[in-house]
Amino acid sequence: MDYKFPKELKYTETHEWVLLEDEVATVGITDYAQHQLGDIVYVEMPEIGMIFERESIAGEIESVKAVGEIIMPLSGEIMKTNSKIIDNPELVNSSPFEEGWIMKIKISHKDEIENLISVEEYIKVVESEEA
Amino acid sequence: MTLKKTPFYEIHKKLGARMVPFSGFSMPVQYQSIIEEHEAVRNNAGIFDITHMGEFILEGKNVFDFLQYIMINDLNLLEVNKGQYSCMCYENGTVVDDLVYYEETPTRFRMIVNASNIDKDFQWLNDHIGEYDVKVTNLSRERCRLAFQGPNSDELMQKLVDVDLSQINRFYFSHCNLKGNPIFLARTGYTGERGFEISFENQYAENVWGYLHGTGASPAGLGARDSLRLEACYSLYGHEISNEITPIEAGLFWLVKPKAGIDYIGKEILLKQKSQGTERTLVGLNLLERGIIRDDYKIFYKGNQIGYVTSGGYSPTLKKTIGLGLVKTQHSEINTEIEIEIRKKLVKGIVAEIPFYRNV
Repeated sequence: MDYKFPKELKYTETHEWVLLEDEVATVGITDYAQHQLGDIVYVEMPEIGMIFERESIAGEIESVKAVGEIIMPLSGEIMKTNSKIIDNPELVNSSPFEEGWIMKIKISHKDEIENLISVEEYIKVVESEEA
Repeated sequence: MTLKKTPFYEIHKKLGARMVPFSGFSMPVQYQSIIEEHEAVRNNAGIFDITHMGEFILEGKNVFDFLQYIMINDLNLLEVNKGQYSCMCYENGTVVDDLVYYEETPTRFRMIVNASNIDKDFQWLNDHIGEYDVKVTNLSRERCRLAFQGPNSDELMQKLVDVDLSQINRFYFSHCNLKGNPIFLARTGYTGERGFEISFENQYAENVWGYLHGTGASPAGLGARDSLRLEACYSLYGHEISNEITPIEAGLFWLVKPKAGIDYIGKEILLKQKSQGTERTLVGLNLLERGIIRDDYKIFYKGNQIGYVTSGGYSPTLKKTIGLGLVKTQHSEINTEIEIEIRKKLVKGIVAEIPFYRNV
């Protein structure tokens, strides 16, 4: 299977991607994750201003057949969520890295960035799940 | 554990299907997209592999009387070349299985049963034959079954078969040929669209699939099959009906026939429920706030649990979440405001009119 793995992003083992821009991290789910879920029909996003710890559950993504969790890749405050995917959740399927972004976080613990994995490491995660 | 394969397994894999275990078979849940396949059935036509289901032949002098005894529906309403939907029930009125039987002759019937109940049903039939002159043959593994469903299914199927489909009304069937391949064809379905269900010997599998696919109909998997039947509010065994739920509770009161002078299993309790009502009733469900209704979620009324979701999901046709649930009868009126517990939160919902969709 051919999945997209943008090189400029960081990843988590729970299939989130992270775009780092100084204090702000934009977060979504990967092409592999959207493919596993199938047609996405609903996204439950956290409220603006809420603070979450790294690895806690920030929200849910539901497909026709499954419910997936959105795991915080870093600790921080929710600055913005993507209102487009409320009425058009299918954007997460068709454009998981661009139009289907989920939330923007104000990073509270910069040292946690070390825990994110590189694109090469993430590709290995996907390969072992597919095996 | 190894899974059984239908004769279409390689075809599914070649089409890129995602295969899942289902009733001991490896079956396609989707090819590319459940929603796309669902929409293809609603707008054109879809092809479903339903070979995992069971197929029996019942033959003998007493088949008619035997079926009158074990079925809740009335075979006096049946005729040769016609099928009938029914339940077989336990003495307490709960359901052994829902199924369709077709009268080929007054002493020979074809029966299609749920995949999950093939062995149970075969046993049930044989356990109740007693003195009836009836033989039950299980042809499940010797024949394939496909469903061909959609608003264009007549036009497309007519190009392939040697019978005039306009002469076959709903629930009637015919033995005919699909481009030279002998098939059993019935105008029945589980999607809420017009369509056909066909069965034929395994040797014709590739040919028949090839012709059906060649009409431009879309292969559709079990995921779409479930979202389609949910929109049409057709019962799924283990959900709306089961060995704990009676047909009356599930809203299938029209299946329970008086059959005066004829004893059938479950008759006393079912006729009593039909006239006196039941404590719980199947209802349609919608949400008034954001969320997706899913199986087994609890249903509340003013803070008290009144029932649970039997089937829930997303409706591609209505573009919103829909569900069916069993609730206390006193709260079953349409537009009753209820709450559904989704991940520990009570989400506002409402009892909705059903079916959500029919285009038969």
